Amino acid sequence: MKLSAHYNKVSIIVSIATLLISAVIYYLAINTIAQNQLDDNLSEETEEVKNYVNLNGRFPKQVDFDEDQTLIRKTNITAFKTRYFDTVYNDLKDKKIQPGRAVATLMLYKSENYLVTIIVSRESTEYLIQTIFIITLILSLILLTTLLVANKYLLSGLWRPFYIILSRVKEFNVADSTQIATVESRVNEFQELNDAVVTMSTRVSTDYQSLKAFTENASHEMMTPIAVITSKLDTLIQDERLISDQLSQITDIYAATSRLSRLNQSLLLLVKIENGLLPEDEPINLKNVLLEKLQQFQEIVMDKRIEIFTEIDDLEVVASKYLIDILVNNLFSNAIRHNQMPGLINIKLTNGVLEFQNSGNGNPLEQNLIFKRFYKGKSSEGTGLGLAVIKNICIHYNYKIGYQLIGGLHSFTIHFL
Amino acid sequence: MKLLIIEDEQGLRENIEKYFTEEGSICEGCKDLKSALYKVALYTYDCIILDINLPDGEGFAVLEYLKAYRKDECVLIISARNGLDDKLKGLNIGADDYITKPFHLAELRARLMAVFRRKNYGSNNTLNYQELIIDLLGRTVTFQQKEIILTRKEYEMLLYFIANKGKVVSKNAIAEHLWGDNMDMIDSFDFIYTHIKNLRKKLLDSSGNDFFNSVYGVGYKFI
Repeated sequence: MKLSAHYNKVSIIVSIATLLISAVIYYLAINTIAQNQLDDNLSEETEEVKNYVNLNGRFPKQVDFDEDQTLIRKTNITAFKTRYFDTVYNDLKDKKIQPGRAVATLMLYKSENYLVTIIVSRESTEYLIQTIFIITLILSLILLTTLLVANKYLLSGLWRPFYIILSRVKEFNVADSTQIATVESRVNEFQELNDAVVTMSTRVSTDYQSLKAFTENASHEMMTPIAVITSKLDTLIQDERLISDQLSQITDIYAATSRLSRLNQSLLLLVKIENGLLPEDEPINLKNVLLEKLQQFQEIVMDKRIEIFTEIDDLEVVASKYLIDILVNNLFSNAIRHNQMPGLINIKLTNGVLEFQNSGNGNPLEQNLIFKRFYKGKSSEGTGLGLAVIKNICIHYNYKIGYQLIGGLHSFTIHFL
Repeated sequence: MKLLIIEDEQGLRENIEKYFTEEGSICEGCKDLKSALYKVALYTYDCIILDINLPDGEGFAVLEYLKAYRKDECVLIISARNGLDDKLKGLNIGADDYITKPFHLAELRARLMAVFRRKNYGSNNTLNYQELIIDLLGRTVTFQQKEIILTRKEYEMLLYFIANKGKVVSKNAIAEHLWGDNMDMIDSFDFIYTHIKNLRKKLLDSSGNDFFNSVYGVGYKFI
């Protein structure tokens, strides 16, 4: 639920409750005031009746008080407290029952007790209350509508900086060099939020950049020691006094050194792709690259008794030759390395989709993990960076890459279009 | 051949010197830009191996000096930076080739020999090794006027071995030379054995000489 909806909900419930409570209080107050007024009138009339009796020596006729009804009855009660009460009476003029307010009082006349009841109409009071009620209702409705509309526009206007900041945070990519731009707002909280977000993103970017620079420098610095090891080994094997055991140790050192060197080169390559420090894009016929690599790897494939089936159409992509070479190279490496003996590889390039399928152990791989750096099978001797490099190249050029296990074959697809 | 090695990393410089020193070759080494410029100004070399990152400046200065004084030494750049910019810049100001650290000494030697041949033999595009005659343009190998038919990889392998004659060349170095240095796909280089065996047999059949010595597990020596 949106913040404005929450706010509207609360404010409407509170306003309606307040209006209802105040309406009740208002009604009671007006009712009481009106009743008091009627009671005052009634007591005045009672006085008038008393005066009339004193003056004229008789009770007035009922019609003497035009709209009121006066009932006079002789009674035996000697003590009666004057009381006011709501009642109904039969309106002679309109011929219907009307609500009224009455007073009953005891009056002494010629040593005899009379009960005098005077009823006045409450119609006008009721009418007044009705009118006030309707006006109040209309006012409440207007108030609510105004509240809703104001909330909608005011809130969305007020929260605009917030949403701008939010969308910028969403768009923020640590790998981009662009920073989150400042949003001007007169609201202190948003200003603070914005400052905090800008500071945070700047810090994150700086940290990320320095981490990248560190990776790059570390990899570069390692190249010279590796070069020294390699040259020492190359010199060492010239020694004719070496015995087979020592030579076999040297072979292992060679293998480890070349793995270290490849690892380093892959790390450097990842940094380079992320930094966009790449040779210029050019049109490349992917078919030629594939055929070239097929040629290049044919001895290795034959040695591993892997059969390759191809269905390759022409496809021109605009990209860096260097990266496409590495992409195809790594796909081949992956398919050869994780194959079985004897095994097979299917290579298909049709409708802008490149597909590499290889036999191997039939267990599906973890889709989410295989493209992560240094994720590899327990038995794999690879660097664990091959697929990560492929993925980064695909991200760089907006190619879509996918993995599936189809009929026991591990299938990697890249959509170039 | 007179060779100057400009490299600040002592271990590497000494090994290169040792590897290239042979009968008829003189190697000199220096460890910074200042002494390199001094030597280049005083003497003439056939080839210069030049590291770009030197403690007192970039190796490009040597190239600029050579260009300014119209000296035509072969220059091969070695650099720890696998940057394309460096490579282009180096080749633009007169370097003949570029190799990235780490590299095998055999690879460095093969590259240097190729550069040296290209520059010094001009139109004479044949390479002789004992009685083998290799036509570098036609990419053919003949022994006593008899052509030995080699595959592309066998031909390249032969050139590589001739450049490194008398040296033990590791299987890693051969594999990286022929199949590129992105050899992440295989853990053993045993498949090279098949290729060496084929080349060895072809040469043996045509010339009656066995040019190869196998060095247990590690590599091969061409003699």
